[in-house]
Amino acid sequence: MTETRTETREETQKETRQTPVRRPRGPRRKYALLDLAAPVLAVLFAMAVASVALLVIGKNPLAVYGTMFAFSFGRLDSVAAILYKATPLIFSGLAVAVGFRAKLFNIGVEGQYLIGAFCASWVGFAVKGLPAAVHLPLVVLAGALGGALWALVPIWLKVKRGVHEVISTIMLNHTAFLLLHYLIADVFMDKTQVIVGGAGSPRVRMPLMEPTALMPKLHGLADLIGVELPSHSSLNWMLVFGILLAAGLWYLVWRTPFGVELRAVGHSPDAAEAAGINPSAVYFKTFLMSGAIAGLVGLSDLIGHFGYLDIDFPRGYGFTGIAVALVARNNSLGIILAALLFGFLSRGGLGIQVLEKVPMETYVILQGLIILTIVVFWEVIRRYVRARQKREEASADAQC
Amino acid sequence: MLSAEMLASAIRLAVPVIITAVGAIYSERSGVINIGLEGMMIAGCFTGAAVAFYAGPYAGILAAMTAGALFALIHAVASVHFRVDQIVSGVAINILAYGVVRFSSLSIFKMATTTPHVDCLPKVTIPGLAAVPWLEPLVSKVSPLIFLAFLLIPFTAWVMNRTVFGLRLRSVGEHPLAAETLGVNVYLMKYCGVLISGALAGLSGAYLSIEHTQMYVEGMTQGLGFIALAAMIFGNWMPLGAMWAGLLFGFAQALSLRVVTEAIPYQFIKMVPYILTIVVLAGFVRRSRAPAAVGVPYERGEAA
Repeated sequence: MTETRTETREETQKETRQTPVRRPRGPRRKYALLDLAAPVLAVLFAMAVASVALLVIGKNPLAVYGTMFAFSFGRLDSVAAILYKATPLIFSGLAVAVGFRAKLFNIGVEGQYLIGAFCASWVGFAVKGLPAAVHLPLVVLAGALGGALWALVPIWLKVKRGVHEVISTIMLNHTAFLLLHYLIADVFMDKTQVIVGGAGSPRVRMPLMEPTALMPKLHGLADLIGVELPSHSSLNWMLVFGILLAAGLWYLVWRTPFGVELRAVGHSPDAAEAAGINPSAVYFKTFLMSGAIAGLVGLSDLIGHFGYLDIDFPRGYGFTGIAVALVARNNSLGIILAALLFGFLSRGGLGIQVLEKVPMETYVILQGLIILTIVVFWEVIRRYVRARQKREEASADAQC
Repeated sequence: MLSAEMLASAIRLAVPVIITAVGAIYSERSGVINIGLEGMMIAGCFTGAAVAFYAGPYAGILAAMTAGALFALIHAVASVHFRVDQIVSGVAINILAYGVVRFSSLSIFKMATTTPHVDCLPKVTIPGLAAVPWLEPLVSKVSPLIFLAFLLIPFTAWVMNRTVFGLRLRSVGEHPLAAETLGVNVYLMKYCGVLISGALAGLSGAYLSIEHTQMYVEGMTQGLGFIALAAMIFGNWMPLGAMWAGLLFGFAQALSLRVVTEAIPYQFIKMVPYILTIVVLAGFVRRSRAPAAVGVPYERGEAA
């Protein structure tokens, strides 16, 4: 809440530069409600547009969306599944949002989390004999380092050679996947797999990680608050970690000197430089931080569910993270909520595939549409607010 | 190593990059960054193959261009009229196109990742030259779209430098306010630029699916839309430059397809185009200059 208010205040400052009129703070509050309504309206609008696709294939959109809700909220294990699906999205949303704050567009989260997952998996199976209290943090650290490492190249190229990070990170996403393919299939492939029944071929995967490298499940915590999680749920402590990280990043951005530099560079690198901030250094640190957070995206699946890295490791979290960050407008609390929203859409997508025979790609279509509508909505709101303010100022001037 | 077969293969692989890069020139010269080219290519690939399956290759190619232009229209509305961040809009287009194509593929063919085999355009053989042994692979049984791609280069150069439309398009990308003051319809020019880039990206997608592999396969664009963008930058926003850059990528890819050794794992060979793109963009080869107002949203009547 504080976050959105501060942001609007900054916008006001930007505008007053053009029209130096002091404005009472009251009316701004009125429009804050619009900012909160925008994501809700954007999601509804996107669902309405996606209905066209559903109508084309002869489905009743209302029935499909109804199934989506019923399937997602009908049972406790479905709710647990939403939380589980939201976990990686909290991390990817945060990774993208931190970059956005400094006007850096990290489309490379996708590749960074694959490399992060590889590093974590390697530390998870190669290092043996450590107690879990040491091994597990080491695995998480390896994930973050892997992500940061993969972010190092694009930010170096941006700062030193002026290469736009969007294209370089996309190229590195493709490269990361190929590299991962090589590392899993040709270097670290688990040759000790026993094929049950002697039929079929072994999975293309790395060796199993040590039990000490795995993240405990959330069942204990859920019991404490009187909720009995289904035993097959993979919900794990990465969710709590993600929420804490969101809080930590909020503190970093809004309450520390570095946060001030970060936001200053995001608003205007030239002005920041004039104020004695070195934009290149801020870009560098921010992007590496974004990469390190990205390195954690895959961990909930890796150490909370599979326990090994295989060639079919889930992909696409990085792109969903962009949608999460945009819907949340980079706000930490908003990112948690938006991650839950996309967790719900993803779970619901599965539901409509099973129950309504509607392709679950509806979820991907919704993602693209939500990104488009939310940015358009914000632009429309910005114009509306500006027009209203101009009118209010004009009438205030007339009264004077 | 530098045989005619090799050159022919390089050209075949360069064509999608060249067509899309030329399209990108129209968009960028009008001041709009089009990161969504990849998505428009995917849309072109699938629509081309799907329509070609039912109605033949000519209809397929037209449909692919329409599909690309439709996604470009979304990008234009969002980034020109609503002035949203052009990169964000482009990323959304890529996600949207991927989703729509998978959705359609499942709904129409009950398969998410491929379409059935389709017929291609009749291949062209140049009668006289095909008799020359060294030239034979280059001039016999060539896809007509390859000739079209190379005709696009001088045509685009002519449009940009010798026509009123080209002058207006460039003026909008360099200094929209000045252009508007002189009576140029800035929004219209930007719409034209973006739509042309979408249609050409669709055409390039159709080339991939109808002419090159004769079916749609998911992931067949492999980031070519972004590579095309890089080729355009490397080519200094000029058609001829984009062609050379496209050929460079085609050559690198053809080379990587032919270098089959035990020493280098194939995954590393497949990385070559991506690494090359980064190296090229890093300006280790040369520096280039973008249109002055590229990426900056223009608000009509802002001067007033």
